Amino acid sequence: MVSNLLELKEVHAGYGPRAVLHGVSLTVPVGGIVSLLGANGAGKTTTLRTITAGVRWSGDILFAGRSLRRMSTEDVVRAGIAHVPEGRGICTELTVDENLRLGAHLRRDGAEVQKDYDRVFEYFPVLKERRKLSASTLSGGEQQMLALARAILMRPKLMLLDEPSLGLAPIVVRAIFEIIRAINETSGVAVLLVEQNARIALDLSSTAYVLEVGRVAVSGESAQLRGDESVRRSYLGY
Amino acid sequence: MGRLRNSPPRYLLVAVVAVFLIGLPTVISSFQASEWAQALIFAIAIMGLNILVGYSGQLSLGHGAFMALGAYISAILVHRYKLDYLLTIPIAALATGVIGFLFGIPSLRLSALYLALATFALAVVTPTLIKRPAELTGGVQGILVLQPDPPATASDIFSAVTGTSMTSDQWIYYVSLLCLLLLFWLAWNLLRHRPGRAMRAIRDGEVAAAASGVNIAAYKTLAFGISAFYAGTAGSLYGLSTGFVSPDTFPVSLSIQLLVGAVIGGLASIPGPLLGAVVAYFLPIESNQWVPSQTWIPDQIASTLKNAGPAVSYGVLLILIMIFAPNGLVGLVRKGYDLLNRRLRGAGDREAGQLPQDPQTV
Amino acid sequence: MQEFAQQVVSGIAIGGIFASLALALVLIYNAMGLVNFAQGEMAMLATFVAFALINRGMSYWFAFPVTLVLAFVAGIAIQRLVIKPVERGPVLTLVIITLGLATLINGLAGFIFGYVPRSFPSPFSSDSIDLLGVFVSWRDLGVIAVSGLVLLAVYVLLQRTTVGLTMRAAAHHPEASRLLGVQVSWMLALGWGLASAVGTVSGIMVAPILLLEPNMMQSIIIYAFAAAVLGGIESPLGAVIGGILVGLTVNLAGAYLPGVGGDLQLAVGLAIIIAVLLLRPNGLFGRAATRRV
Repeated sequence: MVSNLLELKEVHAGYGPRAVLHGVSLTVPVGGIVSLLGANGAGKTTTLRTITAGVRWSGDILFAGRSLRRMSTEDVVRAGIAHVPEGRGICTELTVDENLRLGAHLRRDGAEVQKDYDRVFEYFPVLKERRKLSASTLSGGEQQMLALARAILMRPKLMLLDEPSLGLAPIVVRAIFEIIRAINETSGVAVLLVEQNARIALDLSSTAYVLEVGRVAVSGESAQLRGDESVRRSYLGY
Repeated sequence: MGRLRNSPPRYLLVAVVAVFLIGLPTVISSFQASEWAQALIFAIAIMGLNILVGYSGQLSLGHGAFMALGAYISAILVHRYKLDYLLTIPIAALATGVIGFLFGIPSLRLSALYLALATFALAVVTPTLIKRPAELTGGVQGILVLQPDPPATASDIFSAVTGTSMTSDQWIYYVSLLCLLLLFWLAWNLLRHRPGRAMRAIRDGEVAAAASGVNIAAYKTLAFGISAFYAGTAGSLYGLSTGFVSPDTFPVSLSIQLLVGAVIGGLASIPGPLLGAVVAYFLPIESNQWVPSQTWIPDQIASTLKNAGPAVSYGVLLILIMIFAPNGLVGLVRKGYDLLNRRLRGAGDREAGQLPQDPQTV
Repeated sequence: MQEFAQQVVSGIAIGGIFASLALALVLIYNAMGLVNFAQGEMAMLATFVAFALINRGMSYWFAFPVTLVLAFVAGIAIQRLVIKPVERGPVLTLVIITLGLATLINGLAGFIFGYVPRSFPSPFSSDSIDLLGVFVSWRDLGVIAVSGLVLLAVYVLLQRTTVGLTMRAAAHHPEASRLLGVQVSWMLALGWGLASAVGTVSGIMVAPILLLEPNMMQSIIIYAFAAAVLGGIESPLGAVIGGILVGLTVNLAGAYLPGVGGDLQLAVGLAIIIAVLLLRPNGLFGRAATRRV
């Protein structure tokens, strides 16, 4: 029985000759929510990209005990990891409904898929309204909802979310984070969350890692980090 | 330990090749000289294509059409207006160049893909377009071109050297060679200086080039014009060399053959066209001669092979080169040189700070 | 008036043939941003295969789908062997490779089947039927029906099935699709297979009209280019409508314009291409400014 769903062990990664990550280690427990914080350029997005094989890496990454070395992006995703990238990755040539269908296209459990559709439309009624429209007609916030909905439909074991709050009004952000918490509680999906907005991330997650220039500078329980003034000021900007 | 230069001394190489080509007709038959003349003519056309495709990045598949234009202009001037053939060569070249330049103007608005598509269509339709104004072009039958006798001085020199008198074919070979050398010199100078740099900048990234002040439109249309000028010269010489022009002399496969030659030799290299032309020209001929000599191949198959052989070998060659050696033969030679260089200098000795060799300068 | 209607129907029939090949071109353009110059030759070779099967006794309506399947497989094979290695390279390299492919396939067809033109059977009788007062040939109707069916099938496949959805996603959004678990590379291969099969329909339909020989598709591909460009090179619907329009134009021009006949119709095709590219490069249904650099 593996208690850590995802484990990064001394991962180095980079684009071409430049390394961006210099030996990052972190773990995400089964069903847990972990946030990855840090300033711009610290390597947070690169970390997520590395997990889904978008970047060359060395070291080891274990998912449910299995090494992800030499696996292609598609295969990593098929193993049960959903990745909502910065920029959302919405297929604008397709309709909202088609985007959602893409989320569910690998699943064989028809009845459960229908349940997830219902859930998704409950969380995001606007998606149900705009089902037949082109995804390009959605606003930024709505596209974020679509991206999240798509990820839910994948019924992954682990969700990688890259800055879900980016460019959204605070009220929308709060709603989305509530939904993320709800998904985690009801389906047990683990979440690795990259965020600029450290406050709200620490509220949601149980543990957190702070990256600085490609290395883990601080890590620990979110409650502790939240309470630690010096950490907040030096690393989290508040 | 001494090291090889990054490329053999340029002038020396050019001189050697020139001497070789000048001396060639003295040791081969007259018929072979006419074949080599056509290879040289191809080289001229391919040099033009190279300027367009390799240097300014505009993929034109219709170069056969420009050759046809040059050939017919010369043929018509000789046939109808009784001009001396040699005089018609620069006229045809200039006229084709101007038309090419005019072609370049609307082409500016087309993306590379659309340009390829449109010029391909042009190449396919060219024989049809030639046949129509039958009164002018001689229609399906074409126009016969009388091959001139060599002038006395040339003939005398030739006899003094070889003891035989110069034939028309050999004279035509020398005319072609002269054009080739002149146009090679022209290309060399163009490409090593501002126009060449500008074109290369355009090919590598129009936005960046425009930002650094390059007049994109001017250079692209110029490339078209110059390239057509070369093709027109080649076409004119081609008519002279074969003795006639007809719509069937310029099918789409000619344009493909030129492209193959350009690619084999190496796009965006100055010596490439000559190498490529020789391979592209002689490959079907040699395979055509090889096939009948294999007596174990029955006649029907042999004749089919003769028809199909060139196409199959061209196709395979094109594909293999684009996959494995996109810089053509010249690129391979350079790689070989680099490899040798590195071995001589000792393994593991990284060339710190040295910019990758610019493949355009010979 | 009678004759005009007949010419219109013939124009639509030949337009269906152009549309099939144009659709193949559009499918590949959507997937990879390149025009497959070998599409016509691939169709020609497949048609020869159909010819060989029919000659060996297979019935026409059995050989037809068998050939389509073989063409489908061949399309996938070509993508895997020849296109995939240079997938990430510049588009012009790929274009030159398709040219090489075209030359190669043409030579191969000549080598295997020879250059003597063969007559290819049509499953439709050459009689005419009286349709609403107009005499229309069964052949034209048959071609229209078959082309229409194939185009409809492609539409259904792409728009209404999951496979079609993943193919479209892979073509337009490769990176995002990967993050959704779509095996993009295989989807591209499927696209090639589909395009190959669709193009083959065009070859089989035109062979009874033109006589089967290795250079048969050389003029058809020009018309298909015209159709694709006219319709907008990214739009499958545009390919169909473009095909019909080009078919009508060329046929009517050949019938009614003096001097235009036989080979000069091809010049009409060229004229259409040039006119569209100069006046409205995006065609009728294309999107503005998606220039794949």
